[in-house]
Amino acid sequence: MIDSNQNDNHINIYEPHEWKHSTKVAGVEWKNPVGTASGTFQYAAVRWFYDVSQLGAVSTKGCSPVPWEGNPSPRTAEGPASNLNAVGLQNPGVDHYLEDDLPKLKKAGALVVANVAGHCDDDYMQVVAKLADSDADMLEINVSCPNVTHGGMSVGTDPVALSSLMDKLRPMTDKPIIVKLTPNVTDITVPARAAVEHGADALSMINTVLGMRLNIRTGEPIIANKTGGVSGPAVLPIGIAAVYRTRTVLPDIPIIGIGGIDSGEKALEYLYAGANAVEVGAAALFDPVAPLRIARELDDLLDSRPELAAKLAAGNTWR
Amino acid sequence: MTTFTPTYDVVAEAQAAGYFPPRHSVEITGVRELTDRVMRLTFRDPFIASHAKPAQFVNLFTHDDFMLMPRPFGVSEVEGDEVSVIFAVIGHGTEQLARLEPGDTVDVLGPLGRGFNLKEDANYILVGGGLGVPPLIYAAQKLAENDASFATAVFGYRNDHFAEEYVSRYADWSWSIDDAEGNVVDLLNKLEQGDDLKAYDRKPVILSCGPLPMMKAVAAWSAERDIPAQLSMEQRMGCGYGTCVLCTVDTVDGRLKVCSGGPVFTREQLGWGE
Repeated sequence: MIDSNQNDNHINIYEPHEWKHSTKVAGVEWKNPVGTASGTFQYAAVRWFYDVSQLGAVSTKGCSPVPWEGNPSPRTAEGPASNLNAVGLQNPGVDHYLEDDLPKLKKAGALVVANVAGHCDDDYMQVVAKLADSDADMLEINVSCPNVTHGGMSVGTDPVALSSLMDKLRPMTDKPIIVKLTPNVTDITVPARAAVEHGADALSMINTVLGMRLNIRTGEPIIANKTGGVSGPAVLPIGIAAVYRTRTVLPDIPIIGIGGIDSGEKALEYLYAGANAVEVGAAALFDPVAPLRIARELDDLLDSRPELAAKLAAGNTWR
Repeated sequence: MTTFTPTYDVVAEAQAAGYFPPRHSVEITGVRELTDRVMRLTFRDPFIASHAKPAQFVNLFTHDDFMLMPRPFGVSEVEGDEVSVIFAVIGHGTEQLARLEPGDTVDVLGPLGRGFNLKEDANYILVGGGLGVPPLIYAAQKLAENDASFATAVFGYRNDHFAEEYVSRYADWSWSIDDAEGNVVDLLNKLEQGDDLKAYDRKPVILSCGPLPMMKAVAAWSAERDIPAQLSMEQRMGCGYGTCVLCTVDTVDGRLKVCSGGPVFTREQLGWGE
């Protein structure tokens, strides 16, 4: 595979850029198809590195009805071409989000996908109720976190629980609802279909893959939570397959592809698999500006793919 | 290599646009094994050299596509536009970094984190243990630039006193101990009894970095004497700049990120030794 980012093809990501290729996700226009993935985006940290309004969207850290302190440390380990994390959705709560993060992001000109976390249906409902009248552009329901004991992945792996949750959330807001799915299922099209049949406007996939590392000196898990979620380049093929298979059974639902994207080429691969857009997560751990650089690389790669670019701009997808 | 942009001009591009430099590639200018499996690595980076404060750290990246996570190391010295770090070879990542040679490149991000507060004119007692020593060498180096402050180094080593050559360049007084002789708190007590921790009329301030049990003992020691203590923490880390929330420490204000809320915390913030 070619490397689009060799030095002879250097992109200055800080120069003003006229985006050439937009996309549409559930009727919302993104100026380019690249956003940040929830969980690896904190505006207070990222704003020192680049202009977040240049991204297609930013999906913010999962937000719960009250502050959550997350899991004890250590929370991370390394895997081959990957990172394991078990943050446990530490966040300062929805009220803080509405007072601080969201207004700052909107003032900065970002298109905001507000990610919603909960330990139970009532948690999700409380957060959605507060976000329903906010300036958030889209909501993303996290039913896929592998690092919490209740809510998260336990909902996303159970189509009945997911359907029931969506039946409660859907009437609460007119904002587009994205449901973020876990790959930790036998067939991701089952929860995908459940989410769509119960009101999801779009899907995002994948959240992290359940994983574990042990310390061979002690024989014990490295992460305090024992297991964590694997992300990074290692999970790319898992995410691509999830998008492709879901696209096959749900031809019309907007899909945001996530997992292992660290270059414009890999973002493009997700678009060919049937995604409308992508989100970049772990790559931001390896370089803070990765999401913007990937967006710029993709913008150039789409120049020579007018058919794909036209489909995306119209809200359609390659397959 | 992966697809990151390892050209130095990204630093200039970022600065011109008013942003903090992203990950970039720099040249290794020196590699030295100080003692068994403890390396001192020096690279040329004018941005980090001119901005790094003691206890701030830099992320170094291996050239291995299978090991993508940054390795964070406290800056140990800055000379001109060259920056040094000292690390132990523990796993595969540090093994790869240890094999680098002058003329090779390494990707870096930094300087990161909040360093020691050295604004007050004081007698700074630098209490370090093992691989917690290197950031305190840099503290001594910076303090040597201020005639109104003093630096008293009190370092504990497992065996070989590998950093003495460096700290002795800068500290006003330098003491050390190793595991065969006792620990740094033993040494602090001995120095206190001999009146060797006083620096004229300057108020003492503890700066500490080292293993957790050592720092807790140092915090307790300083609390008993009502000496302010700034403690530089370590934690398994992800991004290093505050976005991934992987490296938290429990404080009286809740779980804070070591990389961006610290690595330096006061004894009061940590609720230690009170």
